[in-house]
Amino acid sequence: MFLKVQLPWNVIIPAENLDAKGLMLQRAITVRLMENFATRKATKDLGYFLAVTTLESIGEGRVRQHTGDVLFPVVFSCITFKLFRGDVLEGVVHKVLKHGVFLRCGPVENIYLSCLKMPDYKYVTGENPVFLNDKLSKIEKDVAIRFMVIGTKWLEVEREFQALVSLEGDYLGPIS
Amino acid sequence: MSGEEEENAAELKIGDEFLKAKCLMNCEVALILEHKYEQLQQMSEDPMNQVSQVFEKSLQYVKRFSRYKNPDAVRQVREILSRYQLAEFELCVLGNLCPETVEEAIAMVPSIKTKGRAHDDEAIEKMLNDLSLIKKFE
Repeated sequence: MFLKVQLPWNVIIPAENLDAKGLMLQRAITVRLMENFATRKATKDLGYFLAVTTLESIGEGRVRQHTGDVLFPVVFSCITFKLFRGDVLEGVVHKVLKHGVFLRCGPVENIYLSCLKMPDYKYVTGENPVFLNDKLSKIEKDVAIRFMVIGTKWLEVEREFQALVSLEGDYLGPIS
Repeated sequence: MSGEEEENAAELKIGDEFLKAKCLMNCEVALILEHKYEQLQQMSEDPMNQVSQVFEKSLQYVKRFSRYKNPDAVRQVREILSRYQLAEFELCVLGNLCPETVEEAIAMVPSIKTKGRAHDDEAIEKMLNDLSLIKKFE
């Protein structure tokens, strides 16, 4: 699910970027905030960081001793994407393996649908392996699938989420 | 997550901080990201180099999975769904998946039928009809 979140952060502007003209300072703060935001990539609580939408306020700058850099507390709104257990989403298959398929959904690449969670589908080997069920519904590379999230895991080192999803339930499966 | 109860969006147990957070439908995110991308295009010749991977993947995703493209239609979808006392989360799941039948809607968002909530099948049916009308006239 995509979320709109308001966050307070601190932005540090190096002394050499400080300018007597206030306009340039505001620009420097915005640019630095965007950079920090993109590098942060994701957090466990809020999910993936997509884009800053508005810079709501810039507080009083505080000079840091020794370096002379200035730290500005800012408040901004942004869009994030987080996977919730129980959420029904749509994603695209990007890898078909014997024991299940990997899907992509929004910024998340590692979404695993195990063959145990789609019991009516059987693996069919070949140059382009697929999963097929009795009704000839086909799960293959680049097919869009509606699934339910059954578990998520945060990887601190990679700053990424992994998720396990299922097709057990009504109205889940490949979509045209 | 606070408390012992496990997170489960199907029962609308997703933590207070997120129940209050504003959720966005795919089509709304598409409008915002496309606008951002256009702004970048005006400032640089190679905008794809300016955006993060997270941005790029998300933009591709919402372009493919948006049910409504026209900005007016997107606004109307939120307006119509807002009349039905839905949680933000429920509203967005319905707007994203556009279920065709009452049964499908309840399967996608089981919490709309839980006890104490005023959604009978008739109200849900009307809501889905309103949604499909927007799609038809887009």
